[in-house]
Amino acid sequence: MAASEPPQQPPEGSKPLSALLSGIAQAAYYGNADITEELLRGQLYPEAAPEEFRALRTKMSGLLQSIASADMDLNQLEAFLTAQTKKQGGITSDQAAVIAKFWKNHRMKIHESLISQSRWDNVLKNMNWRVDLKSQSRHIDQINTPVAIVEMELGKTGQESEFLCLEFDEAKVSQMLKKLSEIEESMNSLTQTT
Amino acid sequence: MAAAVSAVRAAAHGHGESGGDRGGGFLGPRVPAEVEAMARAVQDMGKETFRRLLRVTVNALEGKDCKESVKLIAESTNLSEEQLAFLISGMYTLLREALRLPLSTFKQEVSSGGTWEIPEDFIVDFSSIVFGNRRPTSEGTALIQGSRLPSVQDFKWRVDVAISTSSLARALQPSILMMLKLSDGTAHRFEVPVAKFQELRYNVALILKEMNDLEKRSVLKIQD
Repeated sequence: MAASEPPQQPPEGSKPLSALLSGIAQAAYYGNADITEELLRGQLYPEAAPEEFRALRTKMSGLLQSIASADMDLNQLEAFLTAQTKKQGGITSDQAAVIAKFWKNHRMKIHESLISQSRWDNVLKNMNWRVDLKSQSRHIDQINTPVAIVEMELGKTGQESEFLCLEFDEAKVSQMLKKLSEIEESMNSLTQTT
Repeated sequence: MAAAVSAVRAAAHGHGESGGDRGGGFLGPRVPAEVEAMARAVQDMGKETFRRLLRVTVNALEGKDCKESVKLIAESTNLSEEQLAFLISGMYTLLREALRLPLSTFKQEVSSGGTWEIPEDFIVDFSSIVFGNRRPTSEGTALIQGSRLPSVQDFKWRVDVAISTSSLARALQPSILMMLKLSDGTAHRFEVPVAKFQELRYNVALILKEMNDLEKRSVLKIQD
């Protein structure tokens, strides 16, 4: 995927750099273990010496980590990159432009991935439900009450999920909704003050 | 009470006379063997013993353990184990089938029966159980005994806001930790990201609405 980046950026050398940033993000943030340093060098910078390439990759990884860790917005990013171009052994302004463009496109995804890296519990992944009307049973001829069957998918990323299948009568659904409203209120009050 | 008495009379008699075109009454076209055997066996039984047996049966229907009380009856009467088994299972089947139907249907289903084998006094006792005030108790037991999936018994939650993590200097992202205790005794703890939480809340509200709508549509109900 790194090699098939569309060849459209005018500045010389921006294409392999953009692909390198993608490769670093794949390995570091999206959990893609197939992207090795050797692969990136062979595909993107075949003429560069291994040490030379390693230095470039380390520098870019470091920059990306600083940007991602602070979840920089565009102003912060500009200030940060400008400082980097002026630094001894820093980056060129062409490189800075490529990094800025890359971050603009990947900020949300990388942030989301970093958040989930610090999530160790099971996560609610999905839910499905069905409303049935209970009609008869062995011991009761007419029940005629609605009942909700809810399936919840719980799991950790990259692991097999566990499915929880629950039954709710109307009172229980209503109770649940009340609790969820309490949670909503609690979250609203938190986001208002921050 | 007259209707009640005739209802149980028809039940114990169990043939096609009940309700004209309704077929064989609530026990089905053929009276179960244990009910017939019970009807024969109570012919020459004392009222006291009959009532004790009936009490045991009602307790069993309500889901109570009756081993001890049956043992007591066996010791204090001259009934054999086989006779006791016939009597109790016959009463049990008769009452269980009678209690299965809702009251209104049951009254319509059975009309006056023909010849009768069980002494009139005992019929009154049966009737008072089917139509009497113990009914809600046994209905509740039947509902609990019905097959079902686990339900939520306790729901605890906590809203967390991560401030800083090993990979993020400034996370500031709320998330919800939920803990569900279920009726099957298990507990499940899981995290819900905010986006998922909104989805969950929307769906629970939708379920409630669907259930309310369903109750208005009486067309779907089985009714006689």
